[in-house]
Amino acid sequence: MLELRAISKQFPGVKALDNVSLRFDAGEIHALVGENGAGKSTLIRVITGIEQPDEGEIFYDGERLRFNSYRESLEKGIDIVNQEIQVIPESTIAENIMLDKMITYGRTGIINWKAVNRVARQYLEMVGLSLPPTTVIKDLSAARKQLVQIAKALAANARVLFLDEPTSSLSEHEVKNLFRILRDLKAQKVAIIFVSHKFEEVFALCDKVSVLRDGRHVGTKQIAGLTTPELVKMMIGREVLQEHLGQLDVNRNNEVLRAEHVTRKDKVDDVSFSLYEGEILGLYGLVGAGRTDLARVLIGEDKLDRGAIYVRGKGAHIKSVADSLERYRIGYVTENRKEEGLLLQSPVQTNVTITIWRRIVHRLTRSINRAKEIGVTWGMIRALDIHTTGPNQKTESLSGGNQQKICIAKWLAADCDILIIDEPTVGVDIGAKEQIHQLIWDLAKKQHKAIILISSDMPEIIKLSHRILVFRDHRIVGEITDVDDAAKTYDHLSMAIAKHLN
Amino acid sequence: MKQPNLVHPQNSPSDTSDKSELLSGRTLGLIISTAILFAVLVTQSQSFLSGYTMFVISRQMAFYTLIALSQAFCLVVGGMNLSVGAIGSITTVILGLSLDNWGLSPWLAVPVGLAVGALAGALNGVLITRLKIDSFIVTLSTMFIYMGLRSGISGGAPYKVPESFDFVGQGSVVGTPYVFLIMIVLLGFVGYMYQKTVLGRRMLATGGNAAAARLSGINTDRTVVWAHILSGAFAALAAVLWASMLGSAAPETGDDWLIVSFAVAIIGGTALTGGSISALGILMGSAIFMLIKHGLIEVKANPYYANSFLGALVLLAIVVDRLREVYSEKQRLK
Repeated sequence: MLELRAISKQFPGVKALDNVSLRFDAGEIHALVGENGAGKSTLIRVITGIEQPDEGEIFYDGERLRFNSYRESLEKGIDIVNQEIQVIPESTIAENIMLDKMITYGRTGIINWKAVNRVARQYLEMVGLSLPPTTVIKDLSAARKQLVQIAKALAANARVLFLDEPTSSLSEHEVKNLFRILRDLKAQKVAIIFVSHKFEEVFALCDKVSVLRDGRHVGTKQIAGLTTPELVKMMIGREVLQEHLGQLDVNRNNEVLRAEHVTRKDKVDDVSFSLYEGEILGLYGLVGAGRTDLARVLIGEDKLDRGAIYVRGKGAHIKSVADSLERYRIGYVTENRKEEGLLLQSPVQTNVTITIWRRIVHRLTRSINRAKEIGVTWGMIRALDIHTTGPNQKTESLSGGNQQKICIAKWLAADCDILIIDEPTVGVDIGAKEQIHQLIWDLAKKQHKAIILISSDMPEIIKLSHRILVFRDHRIVGEITDVDDAAKTYDHLSMAIAKHLN
Repeated sequence: MKQPNLVHPQNSPSDTSDKSELLSGRTLGLIISTAILFAVLVTQSQSFLSGYTMFVISRQMAFYTLIALSQAFCLVVGGMNLSVGAIGSITTVILGLSLDNWGLSPWLAVPVGLAVGALAGALNGVLITRLKIDSFIVTLSTMFIYMGLRSGISGGAPYKVPESFDFVGQGSVVGTPYVFLIMIVLLGFVGYMYQKTVLGRRMLATGGNAAAARLSGINTDRTVVWAHILSGAFAALAAVLWASMLGSAAPETGDDWLIVSFAVAIIGGTALTGGSISALGILMGSAIFMLIKHGLIEVKANPYYANSFLGALVLLAIVVDRLREVYSEKQRLK
């Protein structure tokens, strides 16, 4: 009933969708899988009219569609439940669910709250949320907000329902309940498109699976008869990832960073660990497990409520990122390079040397030494193999992988030898991903940097780490040592991580 | 790690460095527009090229430029300053008080006035960063606070200034007003600051992407406060020079600065979203603004409608800028 024909979408530096043709049928749960940056989100945004495709056509019940806005797609019965939660926090549950279909007294325009709340309650019961419809949204947990979103989609009588990582913050019980609701909807001839990273959910729930890789449609298969290795191969384009890059030389005698009972209210709960020279310490966990919050405390961006941090053996009071850069030489590569990592409109050299302007300024004229600026930038372009026409190229026009290298380069330029690298390969294509892995590994192996690697990508964290700390609910729930020992297999390690998580 | 596989820096085609920053397409467009307007006025008006007209126009331009810079400092860091004129007026009143009531010499009164402006700007900056309130709300409020103070202190009557004080505002060398020369020097200083110095770069970075700047180790709060101090100081300087030109410290100074500050800064290519400024652009912006104003007088436009022209001009500048942005975006994607 919903058919895409040869859809392409170009963003600066990356072809997000490349000639994608797909069909979604009524009464079918269709999984959409692919690595980060494979084009899943862009595809949804194109179908729902948030973005316009550059090429290609969309047909809905045989009729050609050109949505100009999300609103229009909603009116046609196409709805999304997002991974980022889209509700109005100051309103009640009922107001959110009934937002565009308020019940009024005749044509007076005055809202019949009794009726609105009664109808909203029906939908809440359907998703198994037993709360008064008059509860204000902002006080709800993330899981409950997600259920409200699902109730809202039910109320909209969606005929095509996109669920983008809908289980990311749900408990096991809530997931089961969601699956029951989705199967009911399937029986009512709704077309459901289920985007997920979790293979077990795809296999348990879906009828078909379509795989995207680097913006291209790799294939669509029936779930029945498909195995996990086959699906992985479709996703990453080869049998298995390289499991190890080799053994790191960790200097146990040089503890460069120690956290003792680090706590930040509601974000980080009593976290203690050590980091050594030449080590890559992986922090694994689901989104929101507290790893990024910990990083923000370590670099002084967020306040430390309780606990202590020691850098190179001395007690550290890191009050700001400027502090962590200038006094402690700790660099933080953020998980959102476009929003928090880069000045996209500025040239490459600005982003590489932003951390060292103060060090290359002339004493009298207060002028930044241009020759040094360009020299340092070229040095980094060569050392990290950044593909650019030169220091003057606008950063926005670089590919994701090269932008990520710039995010790392600015801390190397400033001689930081403790690096916290947060989700380094999100939105980076496969080839660049390998390069960034090699780069991070080389930094630890050859330059003896101490690296904290935050990643939700299990193959990535197993491939690079020396030790892995597993995070859940803002705490460390487990530690796996000697990950880089060649004797340990990927399956063994991933099982160990999974055990800590459950 | 990897071997370099890239073009050598000397052969790099895109390494246009300084040239592009000085004469971007936008600035070139402004220069051409200025030249056209100038040519039209020369051919249409006999008196336009006279020494006297040139003197008046260039002096007025200097004031517009200083006021626009005051606004641009705040726009660059991603904020704004609605109290530009109010800072000008409170400065004028304190200056008048110092000269007239306290009998201070101009050598003391002028620094006092500039300090008042810088302090008023600093207060704006501190309120914005400490309380984490939008610059719009903060400067809207302080605008009224400063305007109330100037009315309360002065009672609305102008202050007398000593005759020696007129020297800078009214004097000239080879037909060029001192005020214009001061403006050119300061404009050069501002251009230098944004291209070369750490503070300038940090202001641009803060306006370009505040989160990225902060997470790259820039103290963005301090940077914003500095931007507002500069803004206050430049507004105060414009007020001091204005009093010197008038030969009296008139409390209503600054009442018509707000729209001028935005108009000239925007026409001059200062991004409303922050992160970009061109000193040369602002000079051209003030020239265009001045020439259009002069042109309206030449064609005997009804002066009661002057504000409508100003508002429309600002809108036009924004629309043109937006169209240019959309166009270049399309070009880039092709």
